[in-house]
Amino acid sequence: MKKDRFKRISPNIWEIPTDFKQGMRVPARILSSEELIDGIDDKVIDQITNVACLSGIKKYALCMPDGHCGYGFPIGGVAGFSKNDGIISPGGIGFDINCGMRLLRTDLTFDEIKPKMELLLNKLFLTIPSGVGSSGFLKLNKGQFTDIMEKGADWCLESGYATSNDIEHIEDHGRISHADHTTVSEKAISRGINQMGTLGSGNHYLEVEIAHPEGIYNRDIAKVFGIDRDNQVIVAIHCGSRGFGHQIATDYLEVFDKCSKKYDLVVRDKELMSAPIKSDEGQRYFRAMACAANAAFVNRQLITFGIRKVFSEVFGKNVHELGVETIYDVAHNIAKMEKYEIGGREEELLIHRKGATRSFGPGRPEIPKDYQLVGQPVIVGGSMETGSALLCGAKQADEETFGSTLHGAGRTMSRMQAKRTARGESIRQKMKDDGIMVKTGYMPGLAEEAAFAYKDIDSVVSAVHSIGISKKVARFKPVLNIKG
Amino acid sequence: MPFELTDTHTCADIGLIATGNSLIELFSDSAFGLTSVMVELNDVSDSRIIPIEIYGDDLENLFYHWLSEIIYLKDAEHFLLKNCVIELDEQNFVIKGKLTGDTIDSNRHILKIDVKAVTYYKFKVEKIGLVWRGEVVFDL
Repeated sequence: MKKDRFKRISPNIWEIPTDFKQGMRVPARILSSEELIDGIDDKVIDQITNVACLSGIKKYALCMPDGHCGYGFPIGGVAGFSKNDGIISPGGIGFDINCGMRLLRTDLTFDEIKPKMELLLNKLFLTIPSGVGSSGFLKLNKGQFTDIMEKGADWCLESGYATSNDIEHIEDHGRISHADHTTVSEKAISRGINQMGTLGSGNHYLEVEIAHPEGIYNRDIAKVFGIDRDNQVIVAIHCGSRGFGHQIATDYLEVFDKCSKKYDLVVRDKELMSAPIKSDEGQRYFRAMACAANAAFVNRQLITFGIRKVFSEVFGKNVHELGVETIYDVAHNIAKMEKYEIGGREEELLIHRKGATRSFGPGRPEIPKDYQLVGQPVIVGGSMETGSALLCGAKQADEETFGSTLHGAGRTMSRMQAKRTARGESIRQKMKDDGIMVKTGYMPGLAEEAAFAYKDIDSVVSAVHSIGISKKVARFKPVLNIKG
Repeated sequence: MPFELTDTHTCADIGLIATGNSLIELFSDSAFGLTSVMVELNDVSDSRIIPIEIYGDDLENLFYHWLSEIIYLKDAEHFLLKNCVIELDEQNFVIKGKLTGDTIDSNRHILKIDVKAVTYYKFKVEKIGLVWRGEVVFDL
């Protein structure tokens, strides 16, 4: 039994002590229900204990309940590094910088959209580009793209693609201030400049979902988040910084390859290549990463703009009449400076979240004014058959997990295995039978993203709810899905 | 099969193992393998030519740059690879030549899944006997 190798700290927290592997500076902690812990991949254990060996790491290397094998960090990995002697690692953030999720609320109900479902799906598919090599509707020049890098979603506000209400409801208000375009390569710009407002492919999607009354776990908090009527229509967007962010990660992995030797850093896995936070290389990556994060916020905002246009056309009303508003927009792949208490002293740490969500509780100045009493929304993406979950942040996360929680269901089966298990067409038919219409440019890809390839989202959500690092608010059921 | 796609390393992404009797064969087949993840190769024409010049610090670094260039061209130029005519300087780790291929067109191409990046995970170029072998995992 795998769990016998761990020290059980609480019903859903399992610790791997520092004597597990030579070089571990702190213990590793895996958050998981008892039923899922034995299914944890050995590679995840290897990866999270490698993270525990990195310079300047504090308290624990953490793996969230949706954790699965990644590069360097596992997906679902969280770690905090001392600002003074810690490192920054692209492998702790991911190639898709600020891959994240946005939820939109509407005033519409399921009954109101039922007669127009097919039209809505087709128009969304045509309006929001997805798949390999797709381009957005904007033809941007370099000056505009520089503004996107440095101003993030504020650029959308200035250009008429966002409302001030959108900006208020994006993590960091959609603008990370230390972004510096001079740290970004021409290649990254060329890859990203035509892709703003596109979904991408793989596990990226756009989904219309329904907030059924039986899926509302906390009616009061749901109401604060704008979920205020039975069978309300919700829209979920899952995508990131596209080729721009992927190229920045590629560029800096190579820069960091040379840093290990230069700064005498022990690296157990080439994907964990890192640089001291204070080093020139580390600071440049930190600023370039912020450019990609800002571009991702812009990407999701431009997709929101497209969704509003479609809803307006299909339902013959303006977006205000339809109440299409941003509930929140969260980053799942990012590193941020945050303050935590370490050994009775407040310390500034660089928190890496790779496939993890910030989970700030009530009263934090970083979260929107209207959510101050309940904590930030935590948006968790499920598979395309199961829909998303909405949670709220909790103070407990500050103590247990550097203000972090899960981000998705967590993959358990490879894409190739999934395709061997089922055909895309049979998944499409099954989804149709379950009341979900799906559209994609590549039908076999449906099998890759089928529910059987993922952990049970309710199980991983219940684990973080039980630990208390975020609290269940609502579960949504998908009815329309555009798979990138 | 000069290349093979694998799923043994990570569950979210895809691996590629390629072999060749020469480095040029290995590099070419790996690039076709990479392109095959993104598009059905048979539908790609050779209507475009892109000259290339790629440098590396060593052989593995050159291989990394070569594959990264194919991904870059897919996004920046909407270019899909059909064929390559290249020279490879094994002493100075330089590739020069031209790529032929097609512009992405969702009406003509069966587009599959986007490749985000070449990872260093299990990344390897080695000569086994007379055969060159490369192994790489792509982030999807």
